[in-house]
Parts: sequence; structure tokens; C-alpha cells
Amino acid sequence: MSRKILIVEDDASTAAYVAKGLAEAGYAVEQCGDGRDGLFLASEGIFDLIIADRMLPRLDGLAMVSAIRAAGISTPVLILSALATVDDRVDGLKAGADDYLCKPFSFAELSARIEALVRRSDRTASEPTRTKLSVGDLEIDLLARTVTRAGKIIPVGAREFNLLEFLARHAGQVVTRTMMLEKIWNYHFDPGSNVVDVHIGRLRRKLEEGFGTPILHTVRGAGYRLAVEG
Amino acid sequence: MKLRLTISARIALLSVVLALLSNLVLVGFIWKQTSADAVAALHREIVEQADALRAVWRTGALPALADAITHAREPGDVTLVLAIYDSRGHRMAGYAPRHLAVPLADTPFRIAMLGGEGVWASREAGYTLHPIGDDWLLVGRPLDLIEAQQIAIERALALAVFLSLMLGVGTGLVLAHYVAGRLNTIVAVIDAAGEGDLTRRVSLVRADSDEGDAFDRLAERLNAMLGKIEQLMAELRVVTDSLAHDLRSPLARLRTKTEQAVLIADPHQREAALGGLLVETDLIMRMLTMVIEISRSESVTRDRFTLVAPADLVEEIGELYAPVAEDAGLRFLIEVEDRPAPLPLHRELMSQALSNLIDNALKHGASGAQVTLRLSRGLEGIVFQVEDRGPGIAAADRAQALKRFGRLDTARTTPGAGLGMALIEAVARLHGGRFELADNAPGLIARLVIP
Repeated sequence: MSRKILIVEDDASTAAYVAKGLAEAGYAVEQCGDGRDGLFLASEGIFDLIIADRMLPRLDGLAMVSAIRAAGISTPVLILSALATVDDRVDGLKAGADDYLCKPFSFAELSARIEALVRRSDRTASEPTRTKLSVGDLEIDLLARTVTRAGKIIPVGAREFNLLEFLARHAGQVVTRTMMLEKIWNYHFDPGSNVVDVHIGRLRRKLEEGFGTPILHTVRGAGYRLAVEG
Repeated sequence: MKLRLTISARIALLSVVLALLSNLVLVGFIWKQTSADAVAALHREIVEQADALRAVWRTGALPALADAITHAREPGDVTLVLAIYDSRGHRMAGYAPRHLAVPLADTPFRIAMLGGEGVWASREAGYTLHPIGDDWLLVGRPLDLIEAQQIAIERALALAVFLSLMLGVGTGLVLAHYVAGRLNTIVAVIDAAGEGDLTRRVSLVRADSDEGDAFDRLAERLNAMLGKIEQLMAELRVVTDSLAHDLRSPLARLRTKTEQAVLIADPHQREAALGGLLVETDLIMRMLTMVIEISRSESVTRDRFTLVAPADLVEEIGELYAPVAEDAGLRFLIEVEDRPAPLPLHRELMSQALSNLIDNALKHGASGAQVTLRLSRGLEGIVFQVEDRGPGIAAADRAQALKRFGRLDTARTTPGAGLGMALIEAVARLHGGRFELADNAPGLIARLVIP
């Protein structure tokens, strides 16, 4: 069964661009152009994800998200907005959104975040709290905070462990640089240099040196993916 | 000029009216009081005289009284009125009008014209009239003296009112001139500011003392406001200038690369070229985001601040950059000399400012092989500083670098640094602190001081 995504966006060209991309990625997409219709559709509770603009006619995007949450609907919401400052993001997340992406955005970034949100709600629904994560021959013990690959212990620093845990929780999915900056370091600005790449490079050397197969893959133009297969 | 006339005229008028009013009240009171006192004295004298004469009449009857009346006037006193009248109002003896014009009735004290003819009809007198048997005893005195006194006082008072009027006009003019003069210097500065000259300031009359007058306080506030406006205008201009300048090169590169990509026939190579376009657009987007962040930071309110331990902030951002510096072949040191208690900071903006400082040091100080991120406590507050061992900035150029927060011409090849400096400056100001550059001998120290 394909997943249903609601797009609440008054700019027709953005909405069409997102809808087309998501349809190609295999999602069932529904669109509406103002906040009140969005709230009406969202309150049916049939969607797996809502993508909302902030500046919407009739009902502001943040007000719509607050109303959805107040109605007890926990459908993940991703806000897609041209309001791009750090404080704007904080406002969006405070209103009850699960993620915040600034326009203009790359489709790879949007798609990675959508996948993360949809899978997260699956996981919380189906899995109890896990104490171990494994990707192929890589095992991560969340309690002891140790990493082993093919039975061999790999020493990692605290931040590297957090990074690896995040990648492993999204194993098989693309994780973008900004997602990592937001979730691991809690920074919502773009540091400009290739800081995340440097950290990933170090982690990759530890995970792959001395082992035959690569496990941490670069997805060009998007980010990284932890998976057995490239 | 309209302002000046109106204000001057109002102040002059006000001081005149106030002077006049206070004088009139005073004068009126004195006038009334002297008049009342004189009449009361007359009243007392006449009643005493009448009582004495009636006592004479009771002991010695009419002849004794007539005798007493002839001797009652003291030598030289020609105004005392003393007389006995019969029951029809004809004078029997004494100094008084022949026929009495006032009604024959027992009168304790009254002021009226005593006679109907001659000198008596022209002047008022205070008198008492008492019955003695069938006859009447009149004791009184004309009010001429009192009136003369009154007139003298009135003249003196009129002169005083005139003088106070002149004085009021005079002080009013002086006061108005002074106020208008003080105001005009302020108005001139405001007018100049309105026409775009923000460099002028109001000179203070008592600049050296702490307690200037109200005009000085106004001027001080105005000067501070103009300073802030001038600074903001300068920053806005710099940001706009450097934005326009910095956007040109990535846009030019974007255009060239697009042109080239269009011409590539091989699909794989074209894809790679298109990937390069994304990098350029991302750079432009990043610059625009920073511009928005700078302009927003001017209006960020304190409720966006959270309690952050400066040491944690420094260690986190240092930890993010350490591998980057090391990969670039630099030694990266994080020196936390002091661990101040958590204080309200805008964590994201502070981190971004520090990240810009480190980024600058990595770019421009790469030749020095060492970059230090240092947290310490100075006299003026908490000091976040990034030190490098690169070429530094010559002391002469440092002020220029800070003043325009701009990039020096030698650094023109690296995009976006001008905006980076502007953001750091804006973040320092948001926290009530400042940003400065110093010599690391060799190298540069970029210092963010937060009180």
C-alpha cells in the first residue's frame, strides 16, 4: 500500500514540483491550496505525512499545525517555508512540526527528510525500544555504547557514536548533511565548509579500513547512507 | 522660523501673564488691606470721641456738651466733625453742615455725604449719630485723608504694575531667546539629519559635568540616537554593497558553468557539470540566508535567548571544527581557561558567529599551522577568541577591516567573508558586546567580548 502525503501549499509551481517528485518516488499525493482546507483534510487522519507551507491563505501554516496537534492528530508534519532564519525554525518546531526545511530546497534533501519521518512513525508504532542496532556485519550496542564489525571492536568517540547511531537508525535511507548537523550537533545554520564530510570521512575510515566491503556510502548530491549494498 | 516665533511668543506671554497676575494679586491685597485698616482706625476714633462726649452730656447736660465740643478739636485738626442737632436736623452747635443730609436715626457707624450743599456735598465722611435727649450728637471725619492715602498707594501700585509688566516682558524675551537658542541648535541638527547628514551632533552646554540641564539630556539622547542610526545605516550600506559585490562572482560562475553545461554532449559529463551548478546555487543561497540572519538579528528579542554555558558552547563548536582543521594540516587547540556560569545567549547565532571566526582563521591563517579557540574571562566580560598564526592584518588596516567589517582588498578572492564579519558584528551587538581584532604577533586575534 502506498503511503499518502498531503501537500498544503498555495504556490502552484512548488506544489506541482513536489507532487510530481513524490509521485515518482511512489507516494500517493493529495494537494490543497489553503490552511483551512489543509486542516479539514488533515483531521481525517488518513495521511502518513503532511507537508505544509507557512504563509498560507485563510489559515496560517503554523496555526494549522497547532490546530492539528490540538485535535490530537499525530501525523508527522514537515514545514516547507521561505522563512529561513534559526528563530523561524524554532517557531515551526514549537508549533508542533516534526521537521522544518527552508525554501529553496533540493529535492534530495526533501525526499531524505520525508523518508526519515515516515519510517520513524512506522518504527515507533511497531518496535519497542531497541538496545542493539545492526547493519550487515556492523553491530551497535546502545547500552554499552560499543561498535563491532564482524566481531571486531571498533573504538569510536562519543560524537562519532552518536553519528553512527543516527545513520544506523536510518539504515538504508539517505541522510543529508543538514539533517546530521541538526540532529547530532543541534545547529540549524550552514557552517559552509565541508565539516560534516570531514566527520563522516573519519568515521568511514574506522568502519571500513581493514574490512573488505564498504558500508558507509556517499550519495552524490544528497548525503550519506549506511547500508550493506551500495 | 515659525517654531521659534511661536515658542518664544508663548514663553514671553506666559512669563508676562504670570508676573502680572502675581503682582495684581499682591497689589489688590495691599490696596484692600490699607483701605480697610484706615477706615477701621477712623471708626475707632469716632466711636471713642462719641462715647466721651455722651459721657459729658450725661454728667453735665447740653451746656457742658456744647462747651466740650468747642474744645474737643485739637489745635490744627480742622477736619473733625462735631455737632449737636435739634430734632429737625438743624445745627445747634459745633463744626458741621447747617442742615444734616443723613436721616436722623441712631447710627453706630456709617459712611455718607453729611451735607446737601457746599463742601459737604462733595466729600464723604464716616460718622456716628446718637440721640441725646431730644437732640442728636454727630461725630465724624471726612474721608479725604484716607482717599488721598488711597490715591497715593494706587499710584505707587500702578507704577509697580507697569514696572512688573515691563520686567515680565523683559524676562520673557530673555527666556524665550535662551530657550529658542538652545532649541535651534537641536533643530538644526535634526534638520541636517532629515536631509541626510547624520554626522552632525548637538554640542552640550555642560559636557564635562554629569548633571547637564534638560536640554543637555535631550541633546545627549538625540546624539546617541543619531549615532545608532548612523551606525545602522553604515552597516546596511556595507551589507548591501558586499552582498551585491559578493553575489556577482558566484552568479557569474553559475552563468559560465550553465553555458558550458548546455554545450556538453556527453550525458555523464553534463550531469557532472550540472552538479557543479548546484554547488554554486547553494553558495548564493547560503549568502542570502546570512543576510536575512543579519537583518533579523537587529530585531531579535531577548526571549530567544537560552541559558547556555559558554564553555559548552565553545567545546561543541570546537569539536565540530577540530577534524576540519586537522585535515587541513593545522593544529587546532581549544583552550577553556575559565568556565563561567551559564548565561542567556542566542546559542545558534553565537555558534554561527564562532563558526565564521574559525572558518576565517582556517581560510586566511592557514599558513600559520595553528589555530586556537580560546574562552577566557576578561575585565569587560566573557571573551571568545580565535587566534591564528597567519599573516594577520596590519594595525593600520585593522580599523578599516572593522569599520567596514568588509574584506580587505587582499582577501577579495574568498567569497562571502564580508557578510561573515557583518554577521559576527551583528551577533556581538545583539548580546550587548563588541567585536575587535588584535595582533597575535604573528597572526590575528579575532575577539568577541560579551559582558
